Amino acid sequence: MIEDFKSTKEYVASEALMGSVNVAIALQKPLLIKGEPGTGKTMLAEAVAKSLGKKLIIWNIKSTTKAQDGLYMYDTIQRLYDGQFGEEGVDDIARYIKLGKLGEAFESDEQVVLLIDEIDKADLEFPNDLLWELDQMEFYIHETKRTVKAKHRPIVIITSNAEKELPDAFLRRCIFHYIEFPDAALMEEIVKVHFPDIEENLLKNAMDVFYWIRSIRDVRKKPSTSELIDWVNALQMGGIPTDTLKEKLPFIGVIVKKDEDLETVKHYVQ
Amino acid sequence: MFNNFFNALNKYGLNVTLSEWLTLQNALDKGLCESSLTKFYYIARSILVHSETDYDKYDQAFEECFKAMQHEPGVTDRMLKWLDKPDMNELLHEEDKDYLNSVETFEIDKDDVEKKFKQRLKDQDSEHNGGAYWIGTMGKTSFGNTGGNIGGIRVGGGTGYQSAFQVIGARKYRDFRDDRVLTGRQFMAALRKLRQFSSRLDIPKTELDIDGTVHDTCEQGGVLKIVMDKPRKNTVKLLLLMDSGGTMIPYCDLLNELFQSVHKSNHYKEVKTYYFHNCIYSHVYNDPGCENGNWIETEWMFKNLDKDFKVIIVGDAAMAPEELYAKDGNYRGPNGGYSGHEWLLRMRRKYKRIVWMNPKMAPGAAPWREAETAIKEIFPMLPLTVEGLNEGMEILMKRD
Repeated sequence: MIEDFKSTKEYVASEALMGSVNVAIALQKPLLIKGEPGTGKTMLAEAVAKSLGKKLIIWNIKSTTKAQDGLYMYDTIQRLYDGQFGEEGVDDIARYIKLGKLGEAFESDEQVVLLIDEIDKADLEFPNDLLWELDQMEFYIHETKRTVKAKHRPIVIITSNAEKELPDAFLRRCIFHYIEFPDAALMEEIVKVHFPDIEENLLKNAMDVFYWIRSIRDVRKKPSTSELIDWVNALQMGGIPTDTLKEKLPFIGVIVKKDEDLETVKHYVQ
Repeated sequence: MFNNFFNALNKYGLNVTLSEWLTLQNALDKGLCESSLTKFYYIARSILVHSETDYDKYDQAFEECFKAMQHEPGVTDRMLKWLDKPDMNELLHEEDKDYLNSVETFEIDKDDVEKKFKQRLKDQDSEHNGGAYWIGTMGKTSFGNTGGNIGGIRVGGGTGYQSAFQVIGARKYRDFRDDRVLTGRQFMAALRKLRQFSSRLDIPKTELDIDGTVHDTCEQGGVLKIVMDKPRKNTVKLLLLMDSGGTMIPYCDLLNELFQSVHKSNHYKEVKTYYFHNCIYSHVYNDPGCENGNWIETEWMFKNLDKDFKVIIVGDAAMAPEELYAKDGNYRGPNGGYSGHEWLLRMRRKYKRIVWMNPKMAPGAAPWREAETAIKEIFPMLPLTVEGLNEGMEILMKRD
């Protein structure tokens, strides 16, 4: 029987999100998570791993990442060097095969949670190159003629910031969930998870300012959950009087990052 | 099981495939929904829908199947096709517009209009243009588009007069436009053709230079020496000039898609985007609003963006001849002493590679579209479709 994913002490998940995670686990399909930056897409994988008591393997995708990097790497240069000095075991190619994150997850003796973070950062064709591997959970190492097959199908969580559109064939294989921006009630819960002893007054005023800034249409980069948490933290440590938050906007740089946005917010305060 | 739901989803434009449907069945078999409709809603959504932009369609299909909501007879696809006529606007003359506006009174009761609209939706069975009763284009009833009526319901079509107080079917309308075959991904795939690799850039050496390694190793009498080299980078610089407003409004989604694709294709060395209204004059604008003041001088652009920039101009080239030829025919902002035609010629002299992408280009020669014909003589002009864009990229990449 598969255990169900639930909100943890550190991570508050909505009903719908928990549902999606559990469907993905039950159907053994990758879970694709989209949402505004700062809504806790990456945190979700940590929470899932923690809640199910499984190891988390993170594969961070960059613009230069190739699909092959996740499978394995054949360190030819090391082998070449070793060959020069007649090191032992040079003829054993397997010594120079280094498994990537995906390979690591497949080879693991127990089921793991694999996070493929920010898949949209990579090249347009990147997701297509992983279709077979994610479907069949296996790949072939040409150099050693060995097939690496997952001992236990990992729970795959993929995040995307929608910088690029993902190919249809890839999307069809995923369970999709869009994390909506939390409403005030959920946000309150989230902040309280991080600061259980927070003063009601501070929380209320900080949230008012936060949602107010988000509602200003001209603000280009809307502050996100993680920025609110940082801000609340700063306010608590600074011991700022809470009733003048909106007039004085202390430590505003924590939630408003762009110069032009700062101008806009200040303009609206007056 | 749930066949109705499957049909409804496809009807609302979600292309659910069999394999996804089977996945959902599998989820149901496993009892994941626990006989709860709410859970079923979320689970089916996570399996069948792959983008938050489609959530709305899903909601509608779901509502139709499970809430037994009584919907009014919808605006059918066939009816929207009758109404898809952006060109009608050009046929509508000023005096006609005045006449159309004067026919019905300006005070219109919203409920009354809605009631009539629904009744006529039920009754109408053919296409109507220019009439006074049915839903159609260029008419003077309160329904349809490109008509002159002030307070009616707009059905499909682009914005003629922004007067309709309710836009019914706007979402569906977007889905079956012919030019919508282009998606962002297809745009990006075409834009990838714009590549010109060079290693003369200031970046770290991270790639193995095989020839160099072999050479240096031999020099050392067989003792291995690894030589690394800089990776080759794309050096293409792109200048995107987009027509904004007026006759381009029906294509703003398409342009938006193109704009997004260009900016998501992060492999260019430099990308600049400016806007113009109908034709390029002495200033180009920084944003699609084309407000006077928020602009840069075209001369500045010539000075600062060198001749190696590949230029893509997007516009429908639908301007009155005087807007192209008169030295003062431009009613927005200054001309700088040149006619639009001369400005375009200066563009051509400055930049080595320019293509004009036209979202509503006439197939073949169209002498009645005077401006379009004249511009075709200056720049290679191509339709803004997958094929056209691919062809355009080839022209841009042609070696001198």
